[in-house]
Amino acid sequence: MADLTKVGTEYPPIVWEVERGKIHELALAIGDPDPVYHDREAVVKAGYKDTPVPPTFLTVPMMWSDRMPVMINDLKINFFMVLHGEEEYEYYKEIYPGDVITGKPKVVKMEEKTSKSGSKMDMVTVEVVYVNQNNEKVARSRSLLVERK
Amino acid sequence: MAKEIRFDDVKVGDAMPELVKGPLQRLQLVKYAGASGDFNPLHTDDEFAKQVGMKDGVIAHGMLVMGFVGQAVTAWIPKKQLRKLGVRFAGMTKLGSTITVSGQVTGKREEGGEKIITCSVKAADETGDVKVSGSFEAALP
Repeated sequence: MADLTKVGTEYPPIVWEVERGKIHELALAIGDPDPVYHDREAVVKAGYKDTPVPPTFLTVPMMWSDRMPVMINDLKINFFMVLHGEEEYEYYKEIYPGDVITGKPKVVKMEEKTSKSGSKMDMVTVEVVYVNQNNEKVARSRSLLVERK
Repeated sequence: MAKEIRFDDVKVGDAMPELVKGPLQRLQLVKYAGASGDFNPLHTDDEFAKQVGMKDGVIAHGMLVMGFVGQAVTAWIPKKQLRKLGVRFAGMTKLGSTITVSGQVTGKREEGGEKIITCSVKAADETGDVKVSGSFEAALP
């Protein structure tokens, strides 16, 4: 079960260079045909400086960086019992190919809850604030992990 | 490109255009695992999924279904106007499911010089079972 004393823990930053190919690939995997992800002329017509990222793109640096399994281990969460409960993004500034974004993961909340059926769960909220290479805040993600016990 | 949505033309209660996705194929889960970097075998390996209690085998990544929600929202309002998107993962999505994303305007306000709408959004399968529910905020001209 999760070690609830770990609230406030910060983890090493996720540093990620954004590539056009990864944006295109994520949009293809979702099945999103919006030309802004696939066609550079459409990007300009739609008023972007370059290819924008889909709303859920920040899952890519999070998952490919392996930070999630590191956090899950450190927080003593049983990997086989963990569910993704909630995900929230706030967008402050566009993220473009060539940007190097840095996200600092922090455990902002940990609590035990009891479901209506009486089973106990640990709820862990991880927040990541992302800045770009100019130290401008670009986005914030907040993930709720639920460990069934 | 979709017609520009203006703040003054939007009323609380207005519906967002629906988006229908699926039926969900195994190939899409494999593609999504590769693109997102989420290689939890729960989404690609039936034997593993059964061992952890999914009697029908693999289930979709919750983030893929959230990706469908993102697609529906940005088909209506351009990504650059999106300020916030948050969801709760309410249910497991099985292979073969057809997912419909729908949403509704729940509020309008002006804040920090921007005209913001708030909307509820959900993704449900063909039986009406809700897989993802949440909300988003966007700035409109």
